Amino acid sequence: MLSDITLGQFFPGKSPVHKLDARVKLILTIAYIVALFMVSNYFGYLVIVGLIGLVLALSKIPFSMLLKSLKPLIFIIAFTAVLNLFYGAGEHVLFEYGFLRITEEGIRNAIMMSLRIIFLIAGTSLLTYTTSPIMLTDAIERLLSPLKKIHLPVHELAMMMTIALRFIPTLVEETGKIMSAQKARGADFESGSLVSRVKALVPILVPLFVSAFRRADELATAMECRCYHGGENRTRMKQLTIAGRDFAACGVFALCIALIVLCNIYL
Amino acid sequence: MYDLELRNLRYEYGQKTPFHKVAIRDVNLRFEEGEMIGIIGHTGSGKSTLVQHLNGLLKPTEGEVLLGGVNIWENAKRIKEVRSRVGLVFQYPEYQLFEETVFRDIAFGPKNMGMEGETLERAVHTALDFVGLSPELLEKSPFELSGGQKRRVAIAGVIAMSPQVLILDEPTAGLDPRGRDEILARIQDYHKRTGATVLIVSHSMEDVARFAGRVLVMNHSRVELFDTVPNIFKRAERLCEIGLAVPQVTRVFLELQKAGIPVNPGVYTVEDAVREICRIREGGDAGAQ
Repeated sequence: MLSDITLGQFFPGKSPVHKLDARVKLILTIAYIVALFMVSNYFGYLVIVGLIGLVLALSKIPFSMLLKSLKPLIFIIAFTAVLNLFYGAGEHVLFEYGFLRITEEGIRNAIMMSLRIIFLIAGTSLLTYTTSPIMLTDAIERLLSPLKKIHLPVHELAMMMTIALRFIPTLVEETGKIMSAQKARGADFESGSLVSRVKALVPILVPLFVSAFRRADELATAMECRCYHGGENRTRMKQLTIAGRDFAACGVFALCIALIVLCNIYL
Repeated sequence: MYDLELRNLRYEYGQKTPFHKVAIRDVNLRFEEGEMIGIIGHTGSGKSTLVQHLNGLLKPTEGEVLLGGVNIWENAKRIKEVRSRVGLVFQYPEYQLFEETVFRDIAFGPKNMGMEGETLERAVHTALDFVGLSPELLEKSPFELSGGQKRRVAIAGVIAMSPQVLILDEPTAGLDPRGRDEILARIQDYHKRTGATVLIVSHSMEDVARFAGRVLVMNHSRVELFDTVPNIFKRAERLCEIGLAVPQVTRVFLELQKAGIPVNPGVYTVEDAVREICRIREGGDAGAQ
């Protein structure tokens, strides 16, 4: 159960996509999202499919991983589709029953919206699959660094994010251990009424909180011992550098956006 | 009779992901009733995974776990009952304490087994006595106790279910030598008084040699050796090869043997070493123990 958490999980690899500068990847993802919202007909989605396919092939991420990232959001996608299906304000009515009315435009809207969400998740999942959380927060810090001028604690925010991300797997593992330990003492999490199931969580949550605080305390002490004092004058072991492939990636994305715009105008 | 048997056990995790790994394979073992067994092996050798199969916390990918001749997964609904018969104390068990009082924490296990009233009270008191804590602690919060006391409360929490098989995963990890000896003595005492089968996972060859009747050595997800203590130490060289620290006296005797002195290297306590040296000096021949 706990090992099923994939949304935002890093999938290690050495592909060109993995090696891209995290800053570039982040900006390109934002560009991709903008492009996705610009698409106004099916041809535009063909371009998007091509782009996702290319990234998928280059990164060697299995297609099943991408599907897995969509799984938790099936309900939202279905819900959006149904909502759009019935609330389309079109004229070509195909079916009418009481207050339910399906129009050609409604169907089109439903398909477009569902595709948009699907590609939105697919694209952003590819970012998190190919970029380690540490690299990602690094990129965010660097991209936001101009905001330091207005005294926004950019480094501290990035550090908080790094620490939070770093401890997710640790806490998941810890939860698994505590669950096993309580199961060994006969705890039952899978049966009983809703109330008894919620009550059954107490033996997990109390030790989990205790250990989270203990860890936080230990980490703070360890950081102080190593004279950590925020971002000033700090250098990095891994410098982010822009290479040829980053320009190539930007080129491919620019081409795709241009294609989408052309599709919008001429098709 | 409650002997525990493993047949062709294999466990894999992370199937179909890049983190796929076979944690244990080809495990065929049989533990007799009332045995005291030590399990040693490297970090990641599969010993913790192995013990989690014995009470049904992990379901084997292949193979069977038989408790008293019955496959524990035959009826998955009764797995809870298996867990009361095979008590498992995890590593650093003090981190699983959660109740407001020591009494209620120890009572958690037996309560889940359906014990109540006087029976429950008696079970808690007996368990507390086994781990050597005074009844005054019962009304305290477990978070007020010292590290060693917390560990004992956690162990009592499993003992209170009066399991026929008690498994402890590194019960002495992170304790000082005195705490370590104390806990081990308590476990030995429990073993003697109840006749339960006891399995202890440990890093320390010295500890294992002292208390265990038979020793199970795990290496690279497989059973490397499973034999009586003297027989295990006859293979001391193999133990060194797989990177397990044999007791210091044994190492000395191995070196003596290499130097051409006809000693028996299957020596693992200082007393035995003294006897062996005396024997050599009196001119006995090697190997006769």
